[in-house]
Amino acid sequence: MNPHIAKLMQNGTPTAAAVDGFIRDHEFPLVEPGNVTFVFRGAADEVILRRWISGFNTALPMQLLEGTDLWALTMDLPTGSRFEYKFEVVRGADRELLLDALNDVVAHDPFGANSVCQGFGYKRPAWTLPDPDARPGSLVQLPVESAAFAERRDVDLYLPARFKRSRSYPLLVVHDGSDYLRYADLKAVLDNLIHYLEIPAMIVALIQSPDRLVEYTGDPRHARFVAEDLLPALAARFPLAGEPNARGLLGASLGGVAALHTASLYPDRFGQLLLQSGSFAFSDLGHHQKGPAFDPVVRFVNGYRKNPFPLAQKIYLSCGIYESLIYENRSIVPLLQSQGMQVLFEEARDAHNWENWRDRLRGALTWLFPGPLWMVYE
Amino acid sequence: MTPRILLGPQSPVANLRQAVEALGPDGPVVVISAGWRDSEGELDELREELGRPLEDLMLYRRAERIFAGEPDLLGLHRERQDKLQELQALYRVRLGPTITAARKLMRVNAQQDLLRLEQRAAIAQLRALDRHHLRRIQAIHRDFDARRAELRIPAATAEREAVQHQLAQAGLVLIAGGHVAVLLNRMRLFRLSELLAQKPLIAWSAGAMALCERIVLFHHHAPQGRRDAELLDAGLGIVRQKVLLPHAKTRLDWSNRKRMGLFSRRFAPAACCTLDNGSLLHLEGDRLVATAKSFAITRSGGKRVVKPR
Repeated sequence: MNPHIAKLMQNGTPTAAAVDGFIRDHEFPLVEPGNVTFVFRGAADEVILRRWISGFNTALPMQLLEGTDLWALTMDLPTGSRFEYKFEVVRGADRELLLDALNDVVAHDPFGANSVCQGFGYKRPAWTLPDPDARPGSLVQLPVESAAFAERRDVDLYLPARFKRSRSYPLLVVHDGSDYLRYADLKAVLDNLIHYLEIPAMIVALIQSPDRLVEYTGDPRHARFVAEDLLPALAARFPLAGEPNARGLLGASLGGVAALHTASLYPDRFGQLLLQSGSFAFSDLGHHQKGPAFDPVVRFVNGYRKNPFPLAQKIYLSCGIYESLIYENRSIVPLLQSQGMQVLFEEARDAHNWENWRDRLRGALTWLFPGPLWMVYE
Repeated sequence: MTPRILLGPQSPVANLRQAVEALGPDGPVVVISAGWRDSEGELDELREELGRPLEDLMLYRRAERIFAGEPDLLGLHRERQDKLQELQALYRVRLGPTITAARKLMRVNAQQDLLRLEQRAAIAQLRALDRHHLRRIQAIHRDFDARRAELRIPAATAEREAVQHQLAQAGLVLIAGGHVAVLLNRMRLFRLSELLAQKPLIAWSAGAMALCERIVLFHHHAPQGRRDAELLDAGLGIVRQKVLLPHAKTRLDWSNRKRMGLFSRRFAPAACCTLDNGSLLHLEGDRLVATAKSFAITRSGGKRVVKPR
């Protein structure tokens, strides 16, 4: 039992005032080296911890502390871990998914919000928070006429602080770009890393698909849009560095598939790939079990596994240990390395979520696009 | 003796004004801010801080202008830069294992009489590698200079003469920090070394590094993890027997005494002196006449206050 709870319960059933004091005096969940204890307070027939992680039992029943309205659960958690969760509260026939009211740390994603468990040793990196000393870049919108999709697509662009047309800039194309801005604090990250000289000032194109389940699953129209519509439109309007190693693609989950697929169709265009928790589904034997939406992904990945070839100069991959895609990501790393590309693979004690992807951005971007920090002494 | 004052970063608290007042310039104050690259010449804050007119030599812009009009010179310059970059990568191939071996020997437990000689030999190898690297770099520069001399470029000559004339009139030269390779490159391109050696100078951060005999790049907390100090190039050689370390507080791993001790012994007999915000080293020729907030790394990886001699 967690020592704080053990102390609360040491003299038998605590009074309501003692429970109030316990809640007031602690931060939740209760984090100890090697474990974490979740606490829910309220009347219920059953309370279940729902963890948004994969590879483990995601639903764990919590125990009612005798004589109280406190529910608790202690679970092992390795140092540095982080994951997102909710409480499923059962009252009669009703089941409700609730944020942890005792925990202020919340993460957002396109589906809503989750409570965040920051295990022992995890600390949000300072470079993900806006730094008042960092000059902010600006966001502008560029309409791009797309021959591939036969329509106009509006693309948000990040221009670095002190942008000058007389200079040339590396380019990073970000899949699910608006989500990266909203949920992974990409703008603050770029502002900070550029200010710290850890990456060069760069232009970042933030693309957002209206139908990512189709366009990001190995759709050649998407690759054509990025390479033949977007890239020339940007080059015509902005001073981009010409070499492929100054151009990169970033994507998470299916966005990672879209980035890899685009690079596979245009291997001479993008020298740097940043792939986070890529959904690189494949089948070794028989049909895959991921559903029909993944058919084109599996076709593409199976094809690449059969006939691999160099498709970039450097590839950074990351994946959470607490997500099922760790298997696919660990599988693709040696394949990419075998093609002579420089590959850096990082595993995180985290799951399939935006803050995992946010926390890996510094390691990824500084490896793919090293800034002038080494040479600059202001 | 020509006075030179070396300072650390000028943020958050500047000590440049104090240094300028100590030298009491006789004649115009000229600035070299080529290390700021695109922001070269943006001197408003500096003018306000010092309360006096300043002229920037605009070495970065002048060089860009010359390169734009002289494709042969630009080609030669690019060829040299590519060679230097490639050579630096080759140097790293040998530096990694050599420094790893030296570091291991600093940590290992063994009979002292046996170990001491092995440690010395490892450091000697490291120093030999640095010397070799410097010779190779200097050969590339000599080749560039010889081939450039064959080019007849009136525009470049005119710009160089204008810069040298402006510099010759100066009562004091301020050399700002920034990108140390760009700064050094531009000062070399305009052949300022001899003129600068005769002038009272105040230089900070990268500006101070560029005046030394050797330029050492370092950052123990680089974003991609441990990175070993590298010899970048020979500097202008105006400041002797010193390796200068701006931002040493944040860039050096002072908690690792073995690593710091190795750093110090690798570059000995030059003293590895920190230049943090507020640091000052005032030299008359080679003699230190005043100092503030600067530390030298000791052989054992600690720090000692740098004092006037």
